[in-house]
Amino acid sequence: MADELIIDSKALIFATLADVYLSSGMVDEAISILKDGLGRNPNYTLGKIILGRAYYMKGNIDEALKTLEALYPEAKDSENTNLYLARCHKRIGDLDKAAQFYEIVMKINPQNKDARQELDSIAPKPAVASPKAEEPVIETTNLPPTIKEAAVVAVPIMEEPVIVDKKPPVEKIDQPVEPPVKEPVIPIVDTIPQAMLREEIDTEKETLESAPPKTEPQAVEKEPPVTEKPTAVKPEPKPTPEPELTRAERVAEIEKLLGAKAPEEAPVVPPPAKQEKETAKKEEEKAEEVPILPEIGFEIPTAAAAPPVQAAGVSPLDTLKEPMSHLLKLKAVKGAFICSRDGLLIQNSYEAREDIEEIAALIAAICNEADDSFKFLKEGAMEKCIIEKGDESVCVVTAGESLLCIVTKPEAKPGLVFVYARKIIEQIREILG
Amino acid sequence: MKLQELTKIPKVLGAGVAGKDGFIVESQFAVGYDPEKFGAMAARIMNQINKSLKIEASSIILYSPNMVFFARAKGDGIIFAIGNKDANLGLLKIKFDKI
Repeated sequence: MADELIIDSKALIFATLADVYLSSGMVDEAISILKDGLGRNPNYTLGKIILGRAYYMKGNIDEALKTLEALYPEAKDSENTNLYLARCHKRIGDLDKAAQFYEIVMKINPQNKDARQELDSIAPKPAVASPKAEEPVIETTNLPPTIKEAAVVAVPIMEEPVIVDKKPPVEKIDQPVEPPVKEPVIPIVDTIPQAMLREEIDTEKETLESAPPKTEPQAVEKEPPVTEKPTAVKPEPKPTPEPELTRAERVAEIEKLLGAKAPEEAPVVPPPAKQEKETAKKEEEKAEEVPILPEIGFEIPTAAAAPPVQAAGVSPLDTLKEPMSHLLKLKAVKGAFICSRDGLLIQNSYEAREDIEEIAALIAAICNEADDSFKFLKEGAMEKCIIEKGDESVCVVTAGESLLCIVTKPEAKPGLVFVYARKIIEQIREILG
Repeated sequence: MKLQELTKIPKVLGAGVAGKDGFIVESQFAVGYDPEKFGAMAARIMNQINKSLKIEASSIILYSPNMVFFARAKGDGIIFAIGNKDANLGLLKIKFDKI
């Protein structure tokens, strides 16, 4: 069921995307997406109407006529179907039929200026066409409330290419043209105004879910009852358009919904301002990410996460500074440093010595030797040692893989040194493991 | 012998003198402890210290979980002693200085 819904929703939305493509002049892409969508949903009337429009825009009048005429029985009250049929007929020179369809358009939506102008262009005598066109009030009052509203809200298509008809107006059309449809007009409003389009999509979706294919136009039947608005009889029935999105935004939005990729020929590029926004947002996100030191796996405390005393970027070993300072306060202690068992310096608190790295390496070597010896004797591992040489002594305490080395004068009390060292070792073990 | 001064300290398990090559010159150990091994160990560590720190006279005290090892290089020989972990190292050190 969920899958079906996904398929349906995609099927319904492809028409919207195609409409946006058409509005952006991407006719081939629109046709491609429409064919694909209609392949999955062959009964989707709106899709067919937009396909007809796409063919017309491409200049493939035969295909446009074929498509629109095929769907005409079920969409004869669609403003756009009639409009494009009229345009197609006009294009092929069948002005009679064109005028007929224009008349129907004017009947459905008397405010359709494009249809009016095009009708005027093929029938220059306004006396014939205009009285019919100027009967909106009578017509709309007979319509059901939903239709009236739709007729009021409908907006003429703006993006349509202007078709220059160089043929002289034919005099035959002077005769009053009778509209072929006499039953109450039920418009299927399609394209451009987003609200209308979405409404139609919703309706179509419901239709596809519930009704069998090839039935009467169900757009109106399924629509929820709309209360009659006095605006329908207003002399200036101005549409109240939704705040319109830019084309690129619309395309992006719809593609997001579709999960489909835009054709390669015409990739949808977001406007530069939007791109800048996105990059700025990404940078912010990156800045928020807490960097992790790969060597030891400690997170550098951020301003939010760190304790108030510690500033951001402070090494965890800095917490050793305090106990180390107590140790260094001992008179006999010259300095101390922490190194790893492989002789690499971790922290140095013996600034007076410049060759501290060398000493660290040598002491590590001695400790490793002693450790190996103990292991050879099966006496466990070395815990600590005191190396005495002429002018100084070095007390070494192991803390996991680290060595705390304290350089003292010969007269230093090793017991006291080890007491202080023990506190530091506990913290080293907590930090370095 | 003067080594007895060392071994009579409580919990000191043995003492000895070895050359820099690790061979035992003299030793006094409790039963069950091999002086050759400890002599070799002492020579190995002291040679390492001498090589690293480039000093002739030095001493080292090593602590393991079970025992303490004390060694001092003097001249061509190395004097060393082992004891339990709770042996009186301070006294042992004084005796070493006297020897």
